Amino acid sequence: MTDATAPQPSRGPNQQPTLWEYISNDVRTLAFLFLLPTVLVLTCVVLYPFFYALLLSFQDKSPGVPARFIGLKNYIELLSDNEFQQIFYNTVWYTVVAVSIKFAIGLTSAMVLNQPRRFNNIYRTILFVPWAVPTVIASLIWLWVYNEFNGLLNLLLVDLGLLDYGVAWLAEPKLAMWSVIAVVVWNGTPFYTMHFLAGLQSIPKELYEAAEIDGAGELHKFWHITIPSMAPVFTITVMLSTVFTSTSIVVVNILTNGAPANLTQILPNESFSLTIEAGRMGLGSAINMMLFPFLVVFIILLTRRLLSKDGG
Amino acid sequence: MTLTQNQSKTLVRGVGGVILFVLIVWTLAPLYWMLVTSLKNNTEIYSPDSNFWPINPTLDNYRTLFNETNFLIYFRNSLIVAAVTTLLSLILSALGAYALTRLRFPGRKFFARALVYTYLMPSSLLFIPLLIIIRSVGLQNSLEGLVFAYLGFTVPFCTWLLMGYFMSIPIELEESAMIDGCSRLGVLFRIVLPLTVPALAVVAFFSFTLSWNEFIYASVLVADTDVRTIPTGIPNFIVEDVFFWGPMMASTLISSLPPLIVYFLFQRFLITGLTLGAVKG
Repeated sequence: MTDATAPQPSRGPNQQPTLWEYISNDVRTLAFLFLLPTVLVLTCVVLYPFFYALLLSFQDKSPGVPARFIGLKNYIELLSDNEFQQIFYNTVWYTVVAVSIKFAIGLTSAMVLNQPRRFNNIYRTILFVPWAVPTVIASLIWLWVYNEFNGLLNLLLVDLGLLDYGVAWLAEPKLAMWSVIAVVVWNGTPFYTMHFLAGLQSIPKELYEAAEIDGAGELHKFWHITIPSMAPVFTITVMLSTVFTSTSIVVVNILTNGAPANLTQILPNESFSLTIEAGRMGLGSAINMMLFPFLVVFIILLTRRLLSKDGG
Repeated sequence: MTLTQNQSKTLVRGVGGVILFVLIVWTLAPLYWMLVTSLKNNTEIYSPDSNFWPINPTLDNYRTLFNETNFLIYFRNSLIVAAVTTLLSLILSALGAYALTRLRFPGRKFFARALVYTYLMPSSLLFIPLLIIIRSVGLQNSLEGLVFAYLGFTVPFCTWLLMGYFMSIPIELEESAMIDGCSRLGVLFRIVLPLTVPALAVVAFFSFTLSWNEFIYASVLVADTDVRTIPTGIPNFIVEDVFFWGPMMASTLISSLPPLIVYFLFQRFLITGLTLGAVKG
């Protein structure tokens, strides 16, 4: 729809349009007015804060104290810190493992739900439930499930004879990160299942029927029809989830807050602790900025993909 | 041994059934544990013997929660913040999405792109400057400050979802309405919005749950008990009391009810809505 073809409301030949009529039919003015509130809000709470964060990362800043420009000192402090390297490594490991497991369980769930089965609607509703449970709530529930003495997990394992006594799931160095990831997986898998199920349902049935006539087995159909058809859905889901998983602090913050010995600490939560507990806002911002280049790659790729599909 | 097509189909379905059972147990077990714990008395909760169901079910934990904690204040604050954020996001995103999909103006593509960028901008990156900004305008420790900050992630997401819907409405409808003398605003309010009621429901659900769940901004921007919301209020029960798991599980149960109820009521819309917005094609 262009300006030239935009039809005008019918009115008498000598009647001048009122200001309101003018505004409501002038495409550019209208677009400006419609977008103005959004642009204002996003400038105040996203755009400006982003550049402010960038600036802060070059400053020494504590609450209530004026900022002092210190150049690259925050970054140098981080890069020469072994603890930071450990936390950086944790973040990558945590993200890759959590995303992979969510992917695997999500795809399995979607394929199982896509099979013809009685009461499938009920099963689908159940498997999607964790998605509607707030992450803070999910973390608190799991904190109790993991409880060393009275938690469900230990009670079950001891009752089944698999353990002699309860395990401190969140304090054991070898188990802590896995226990954290399990909660992220529990809460985040439905996001994958949902997208994958929609993807599976949009694959034309004829493809499978034709393959069956050619004598293809279930495995063959999976590798040669399902996987290739789902590739675009896979990419977008994984990229979106990577951005969200690597920057979400809730599960770590509530379950362990980085303990034991920083083994479950991840960059965004380290930044959160440094800022809130130590008041080191400049250093906290620098930590986030170190993660940002990796996110940018995903964000640019995602934006391109999402917009190319939307045609916007 | 090679299987015929029918045999392998049956096998796959059988294995699928087993997997489904495991997945359902894994999904429901923690929720079951929450429910059961909230109905037990302290002796049963902390007894060394395993009991997987309440022997003497009691509502004491709920009584403690309502009478001895600030839970109701947190709940009320969360409701206010989530409701106001939802209303404002609906208005802003409906106007914005209409402009970005239906009005031609220079810079339209740039705006659409910028919107996705802001949507993907993590709040873990923005909370430090936001804390300074909100303090400098005197909105710290206020629900208004929270609502304002939350619009930063609800508006881009909702606008983006609505853009997908608006594009699925045939433009001919709007054109013929305008030929009949309907103004642009009339088109938006009389044709586009009524056709996208399900989409608006989805958008409302997302901004409601996103603000209901939000943790980082809530812990940074708000400190006083009377303005705390659920996500920052109830984790504090851990610090406040020794025997807190009963009331805690009662509080998590009640706090997950609003999003769960909406999910059960609207699930058909929600799922198509999410997939339409996030994964087109």
